[in-house]
Amino acid sequence: MVSWPKPATVPFLRKEGKNPVVEINGTIVVQIIHFLLLLLLLRLVAYKPILKILDERQMYVASNIEQAEKQRAEAERIKAEFEAEMRRVREEAQQIIERATKASEEQAQAIMEAAKEETTRLKEGALADIEREKDKALAELKDQVASMAILVAGKVIRDGLNIDAQHKLVQDAISEVKNLPC
Amino acid sequence: MKEESRFKKRLFLGLLLIFVLFIVSGCGENFDLHRTEQEVNFWKVPLEPVEVNIAGIETKLNLNTVYFTWVAMALTLLLGFAAARGCSVRRPTKLASMMELVFDFLKSQLYGSMAEKKARGIYLLIISYFLFILVCNLMGLVPTLEAPTGDINTTLGLALITFVMIYVWGLRYTGPKMFKHYIMPIPILPIVEDFAKPVTLAFRLFGNMKGKHIMTVALLGLITGMAEYCGGFLASVVWLAFGIFVSAIQAFVFTVLSIAYISMVVSDDHH
Repeated sequence: MVSWPKPATVPFLRKEGKNPVVEINGTIVVQIIHFLLLLLLLRLVAYKPILKILDERQMYVASNIEQAEKQRAEAERIKAEFEAEMRRVREEAQQIIERATKASEEQAQAIMEAAKEETTRLKEGALADIEREKDKALAELKDQVASMAILVAGKVIRDGLNIDAQHKLVQDAISEVKNLPC
Repeated sequence: MKEESRFKKRLFLGLLLIFVLFIVSGCGENFDLHRTEQEVNFWKVPLEPVEVNIAGIETKLNLNTVYFTWVAMALTLLLGFAAARGCSVRRPTKLASMMELVFDFLKSQLYGSMAEKKARGIYLLIISYFLFILVCNLMGLVPTLEAPTGDINTTLGLALITFVMIYVWGLRYTGPKMFKHYIMPIPILPIVEDFAKPVTLAFRLFGNMKGKHIMTVALLGLITGMAEYCGGFLASVVWLAFGIFVSAIQAFVFTVLSIAYISMVVSDDHH
């Protein structure tokens, strides 16, 4: 027969002696009731408002985050839109510049061509003029030389020719030639 | 210049005082813990268990614990009420933000160890544990007050609530499967394990708080004879400062272990 130690003989459960450190008695029930009562009261007084505020704060933060995300998405969209617009505008500007450049180059080319043509034309005109004047001068010269030769021949025949006369004749001819306009 | 010299003078006086304190520190002659306890019993609460008869049941009540529990309850309620009043979405008061910090911290502990559906039901219980035990513990540091948690009845009562909650939550969310680990040739170990949980919870808190109380009283008791005014003073100050730390830690440990014990039976990978 095993004899279990009776609770009263277990040192720390002993009731005798003053102020036992560990003594389990009716207080335990009272304390449980106290705690449950406190839980109930705290629930009424403190937890409800605090938890409500915490929930509200959570919702507030969540809605703020959501709003911020929405705004960011909106900003991204606008940014992308602007960038596309910008790219388009830039391309257009580029095209315009290119077109203008091309046109101006063409125009310059055309002007150059025209100028060159004009020059050639003027030059040819001038050359033709010179040729014509030259021909005219030559023809005139021929006429004058011929008439002079006839004059000289007439003089020679009329005077008879001595040395002095010959000499004079030549001198006359020369001076006459000198006076020729051409 | 003047400031400096004044500071030096004060430092010198302080050092001198400490030196005198060391010299005249009590030697603990005729020291008796029970007598000191009677002496520091400012409100003259009965220190011995009192025989009472509640509804025909003869039992004993530790009236000092009961009285100081009322004080603790009032303080906890006051704390909760003040925090609740200061609560606001945008501009909470300091106390309210501190309380919110406690709420958030315990929530992260609780929700991290079990599913939200299971955790919601014991969230308030866990917060109440922490607040009540913290207030009780810190009360032991206030002169003329005593920590209700320095009584095994209080701590065991709280631990029994955890003990009950373990089975309530286990049966509610795991069902009879929670008793699976009892199936072995001689299921002594799991039974001992189950009963050890509340007992260790209770005795850990009780031991710490009772030890703190006895140590405080003993250090006060060292104030004897010539050193009536300052014996054990330094040690007492250091001990009370340490007591704040121990009080907070023990409240936290009790709370977190309760969470852990309950989460053990409701987790899905329980074996």
